[in-house]
Amino acid sequence: MSADEFDPFVERAFARSPRLPDEELFAARIETRLASSTRLRTVALTVAGLIGGIVAVRQSLNSAVDLGTASASATTPALSLGRDLQTASYDAQLSVQPFLDQVGLSDMALGSMGGMSLFWLGTAALVGLAIAGAMKLSQEI
Amino acid sequence: MTKALIDLHDVELAALAAAGGRREFGELARRHGSAVRGLLRRMGAQPSEADDVAQDAFLQAFEKCAEFRGEGTFASWVKRIAARLYLKRKSRNARYVAEIESEETAPVVDTPGLVDLDEALKALSETERLCVSLCHGAGLSHPEIAAALKLPLGTVKSHVKRGLDKLRARLQPEPAPYGRTSHVG
Repeated sequence: MSADEFDPFVERAFARSPRLPDEELFAARIETRLASSTRLRTVALTVAGLIGGIVAVRQSLNSAVDLGTASASATTPALSLGRDLQTASYDAQLSVQPFLDQVGLSDMALGSMGGMSLFWLGTAALVGLAIAGAMKLSQEI
Repeated sequence: MTKALIDLHDVELAALAAAGGRREFGELARRHGSAVRGLLRRMGAQPSEADDVAQDAFLQAFEKCAEFRGEGTFASWVKRIAARLYLKRKSRNARYVAEIESEETAPVVDTPGLVDLDEALKALSETERLCVSLCHGAGLSHPEIAAALKLPLGTVKSHVKRGLDKLRARLQPEPAPYGRTSHVG
């Protein structure tokens, strides 16, 4: 057999590989490792989302508490941005307030948190749940 | 009606796996696991090491599944990933390069008429075996092998040639007995 004939012969020989008896077990191990890495990723993303959500809620509550106390004479960009955020938060509260009044939640209080704070907290929790659900769904598809 | 996994082509399974389908990828691992593990063993890996590297290669393939466009076969694609992972693991051990200079060909037990590739590969030195397996088993080019093994291109070429010569000597079909002329005096 010449070298020209032998090269493809060797390639064909390499391509023919005997089936190993534990191939089902091998595939099952890979599926298990994939499942565990996906679970780990889901947990990590959910925790990161929750931490981000908590920070966002805390910031929103702080800005709501500070509403009206900011100095009108603020001139730096950071303070200006803060004032804009407070205004936006205030506008959002004004738009939500009638709804809360209608369902009788505006007077609800839990500890030091008023109805508006509870509303934002609930909203953040729902958003967190929605994100976690979407992530879970995307992993399953 | 959805097709059963067993009826799907590798390219279809890979596309589904790229979208996160673990079961579809499991089917690919079932189909090609033996081939990938076999190649690693032919490269010189011990069975348990070959299984570890093959698992890692399949997991890496799952992450990169979107990159598989079906230009070659799925098995060849994973084999290349596995071969590179095995080389990386070997180079981490940092003993491989030193061995190249001093290695000797494994003793060959002469068994006339042998046509089994796995047995024939035992006649090659470690580097020859690795170079031939990477070239003809994993489909890597000579420059790719040279880069992976950190060897000069000419050295890789001569390892492949010497390895193939030895394989040819071992795998060459025996001439038919009736074709031989025997003269008994």
